[in-house]
Amino acid sequence: MVRKMAVRRGVSRNTMIIAVAVLVIIVLGTAMFLLRPGEKPPTEQPPTGPVYADTIIIGTTDRVSDLDPANAYDFFTWEVLTNIGEGPFVYEPGTIELKPGIIESYEIQEGGKVYILKLRQDVKFADGTPLTAEILKYSIDRVANIEGDPSWFVLDFVESTEVIDDYTLKITLFNPVSFYPAVLAVPTYFPVNPDAYPFDEITPDNTAGSVGHYKITTWVRDQQLVLEANENYYGDPPKTPRIIVKFYSDSTALRLALESGEIDIAWRTLDPTDIQSLQNREDINVIEAAGAYIRYIVFNTNIPPMDNPLVRQALAAAVDRGAIAETVFFGTVEPLYSLVPNGMWSHIDAFKDAYGDANLELARDLLRQAGYSEDNKLKVELWYTPAHYGTTEADVAALVKAAWEATGLVEVTVKSAEWSTYLEYTRKGQLMITLYGWYPDYLDPDNYLYPFLHTGSNRWLGNPYSDTEMDNWLDEAQVATDQATREALYQQVQQKLAEDAPIVPIFQGKLYIATNKNVKGVVLDQMMLLRYWLIYKELENVNPVNVSLMTNIFLVIATAQIFIATSVAKASVLKRRIN
Amino acid sequence: MVSIKAYIATRALLTIPMVLILLTFVFVIMRILPGNPVLALIGMKASEETIKSLMEQLGLNKPLWQQYFEYIYNLLRGDLGRSMIWGRRPVINEIMNRFPATIELTIGGFIVSILLGLLTGMIAGVKPYGKIDATMRIYSIFVYTLFIPLIGMIFQYVFGVYLRILPVGGRIDPTLLPRQITGLYTIDSLLTLNFPAFISAVRYLILPSFTLGLVLSGVYTRLVRSSLLEVLSQDFIRACKARGLPNRIILFRHSLKNALIPILTMMGLQFALLLAGAVLTETTFSWPGMGTFLMERIQYRDFTTVQGTIVFYALFVALISLLVDIIYAYIDPRIRY
Amino acid sequence: MRTTDLIPREFWRKIRDAGIDGYMVIVGLMIVITAVILALFAEFIAPYDPIQRVGPPVSPPSTQYLLGTDSIGRDVLSRLIYGTRTIMIVILISTVLSMSVGIPLGLISGYIGGKLDRLLSLIMDSIYAFPGLILAIAVAAVLGPGIYNTSISLAVVYIPTYFRMIRGHVLSLRETIFVEAARAIGAKDRRIMLKYILPNTLFIITVVFSLNVADAVLTEAGLSFLGLSVASPTPDWGFDLKNGQRYFLSGYWWPVTFPGIAIFLLALGFGLLGEGLNTILGKEEI
Repeated sequence: MVRKMAVRRGVSRNTMIIAVAVLVIIVLGTAMFLLRPGEKPPTEQPPTGPVYADTIIIGTTDRVSDLDPANAYDFFTWEVLTNIGEGPFVYEPGTIELKPGIIESYEIQEGGKVYILKLRQDVKFADGTPLTAEILKYSIDRVANIEGDPSWFVLDFVESTEVIDDYTLKITLFNPVSFYPAVLAVPTYFPVNPDAYPFDEITPDNTAGSVGHYKITTWVRDQQLVLEANENYYGDPPKTPRIIVKFYSDSTALRLALESGEIDIAWRTLDPTDIQSLQNREDINVIEAAGAYIRYIVFNTNIPPMDNPLVRQALAAAVDRGAIAETVFFGTVEPLYSLVPNGMWSHIDAFKDAYGDANLELARDLLRQAGYSEDNKLKVELWYTPAHYGTTEADVAALVKAAWEATGLVEVTVKSAEWSTYLEYTRKGQLMITLYGWYPDYLDPDNYLYPFLHTGSNRWLGNPYSDTEMDNWLDEAQVATDQATREALYQQVQQKLAEDAPIVPIFQGKLYIATNKNVKGVVLDQMMLLRYWLIYKELENVNPVNVSLMTNIFLVIATAQIFIATSVAKASVLKRRIN
Repeated sequence: MVSIKAYIATRALLTIPMVLILLTFVFVIMRILPGNPVLALIGMKASEETIKSLMEQLGLNKPLWQQYFEYIYNLLRGDLGRSMIWGRRPVINEIMNRFPATIELTIGGFIVSILLGLLTGMIAGVKPYGKIDATMRIYSIFVYTLFIPLIGMIFQYVFGVYLRILPVGGRIDPTLLPRQITGLYTIDSLLTLNFPAFISAVRYLILPSFTLGLVLSGVYTRLVRSSLLEVLSQDFIRACKARGLPNRIILFRHSLKNALIPILTMMGLQFALLLAGAVLTETTFSWPGMGTFLMERIQYRDFTTVQGTIVFYALFVALISLLVDIIYAYIDPRIRY
Repeated sequence: MRTTDLIPREFWRKIRDAGIDGYMVIVGLMIVITAVILALFAEFIAPYDPIQRVGPPVSPPSTQYLLGTDSIGRDVLSRLIYGTRTIMIVILISTVLSMSVGIPLGLISGYIGGKLDRLLSLIMDSIYAFPGLILAIAVAAVLGPGIYNTSISLAVVYIPTYFRMIRGHVLSLRETIFVEAARAIGAKDRRIMLKYILPNTLFIITVVFSLNVADAVLTEAGLSFLGLSVASPTPDWGFDLKNGQRYFLSGYWWPVTFPGIAIFLLALGFGLLGEGLNTILGKEEI
């Protein structure tokens, strides 16, 4: 043992140096190999005309819930379903106009109670199975049978479905519903293949898909979703044959992925600050569109002092919508003065007409009328929930408080509760003032008014607001088939809403999507769904020198660091005596 | 002296009450919920009847003791319950989808932390109480106080956005997904001889493991240093020195090997630290593992899944500490008491 | 280790002679004392009200707002100073809670031994083996946000640490001459535990306390980062850090950097203190 050591002693220093050198070379070699840029060098391109990418990668912070129309009831999953399926009606992209989808034509009979749908004969599933009326009936009945989250789209309206012939389906409703075509456009009504979707079971990871532009080829939950063109689709093939969706944990990660070129499109949801600073980048396009998402304050009219209309009106007058939109959201939302969103038919700026915005004078007058003064301030409790509506929510609550306290006659205590507690206490009617938000189920003013103002249906808000006149107008508007009549009714409702002020709208979300500047064909509308089949990306000559230059710079730095590290190690390990 | 088999048997038996205690503990904390999980789950528009029927379906209306026994009974059958959202899939399936990702990251972080820890600990331990030693000791406290999301973000910015040499989020290039065998992409890609996928998986692994490993390396710095100090003060090292052996031989051939033994015992606890650190690392790097999964489901108030995930963590930690103890018993016979 | 070690003059002498460890203790103490002063006198030190908007949102550090303003125009410095109070309250409550459970159990378990000791050790070891942050997440997720709830979730995590340290120390003290002597003159168990053993564990309590707090500061920040800690508008470093993080990449570095530094410094302060004390006070014992 000792002998062996002694023999080695003479060469060991050199051996060590050689060993270190070899190690450095190995590390460098591995580093060079691993760190080489992931993008392949651009292949030789024909000199004429633009070339389009065959793959587009979309990043999102949303999650897919159930890939099954019978239980999917959230925006992102609806978006995926819309790209792999199609219902009897579809929205013309970029508008909120409905047009026939998988149907050739339709007929409305018995004053709106019966819908006769005539299917196109060239519709096929991804596996080649042709679509028949029998299958569509199966799909609709399946939704009703499973009773999943969105089943009310069927259960609340449809009395029966009946196959007339191979390509004709008759749907009978309980009552005439003026907006039923909009309901027929939701993914819940998408046909599914009976071979892949059992009649009484939800299949949350089903990749069999439907009759849409794409089919699913790879699905790793919460990691990635790969869609490829469905060659059996009856219409034009999609502009980009392959779409990959990657899932990120938050806005920061999403933004970093876009900036690093890992994804081509950053889709919901980027934080307002990220949108603002991405707008300043030359290599990134930020596209803005109106959203159908609204936020509002709910007053519990049961709890004093909120039972006093003067108090509610005063607080409604004092809210500073502009400050919230500009300060918290950098203008990525727009102030809203009615529950019906801006840009939707029948919308009127009811609250603006009645109170203006941040109208402190009016608020003070109303509060004095109600008997409050500087010495006898109105004391209210404002509740918010920290995580559910995003990281900005605490700031929204702080600004509402600031605006009300600016009157000098109000004292606001801000409190927060975690989402489940928040919901439970709200429902029990224990929270005085709460902040809530609403995503529409279908695009019709009815969906923005009825659940909030009709007696009984606003129980979820813990808000006992009830008014016979209001109920009558809402019921009438639901069955009226004449658009002008409905519009007049809804405007009356909105005026009355502003007068009674049980709910105060604050703002309406805008939609933002940030893309690599070569990405074209992004169409956004109030449906808030991205149509993948319209998107395409122009390829340009990426200068490969640029990337490898960066790599070289990095490698020089890495080498330097490794040498410093090894020499420090050598200095301390080799040169020092062990005491 | 107890035989090693007897020791292992006792140790394994001891794991049973340990696991039971943890399970009870998880049950106790999960059931003093102030909110109504069902309500949070089905949202604002649900009717009273729906709420009631769902409560019944989930067994939340039964007396607590009954719920407890059902919970333990189901666990014995390997059933962690069903998710409350999204098709009510079995929790164990959902966890098994994400578990490999966490293991891959944890192993990556482990390798980085042990390499950094060995390097700094050796530098510190070779000449104790000097300036370099002091620097290394402060390093160990310093890195431990770094906040993972912050340095993770800085790494993402520097290497992903500024230099554009490493990916910032995810596990692998989505076009290179290897065939699933173990779920560890680095292993799967090698098994299927899919080298581009292997390189991609390693590239995606570098930043997260380095972030996690750096922060936890401080623990090893201290361990390596102190156990090296102890070994270096022992007689046989003095004997080596007296024979005039060069320092590096003493260090690498004799001291380090002996110094590494006590570090092994700490590996169990270190693993727990890695798992905790992995939660923050996963969230920062969009790594689709158990940590991001747990946080997401907390947001959705999917409380059977949250409970199942915590239980799974508990079982896993108990298993790891059992394994470490057994390995240790093989290496160092003194431990068998 | 003698009880006299905690007499100030003796203590300072040791620190002076301890070299690097002495400096570590001094730097650590300075940071901790500064934090305590900030927490106690926040009203007098902070230039503004921490929950009111006092300026334009995200304005950079200037003479008016020394560390700039945050997302909605609150003064970052004032929030930091009041945030010291929040974290100190959390630390105080959680420490009191975990000490009042961990120390008595450790004393009794170590002193009495037997079946009780084995049972308690098993329970504590089980909890100890569980990853701290994940345990805190579980508790916090159930309790919801808030100062007290956060304190409770941290307390649960650190009970076993106190228990294990105290128990181990008591085991060795139990066999020392002065405990034997006390027992010989007929002192009751309770008296021995409180009079003879507890005072001799003080140094280990101090060390464990410092190291636990260093860890707790980071765990609290982790909980806040995951959205499970103190709720706005209460000034809290972890919350401010999370809230400011989304501004960082857009060039507004101050709302996230300063809370980050504060968390780092406080954890470092307690870490240095614990490390230094451990070496200085523990050395003689070995």
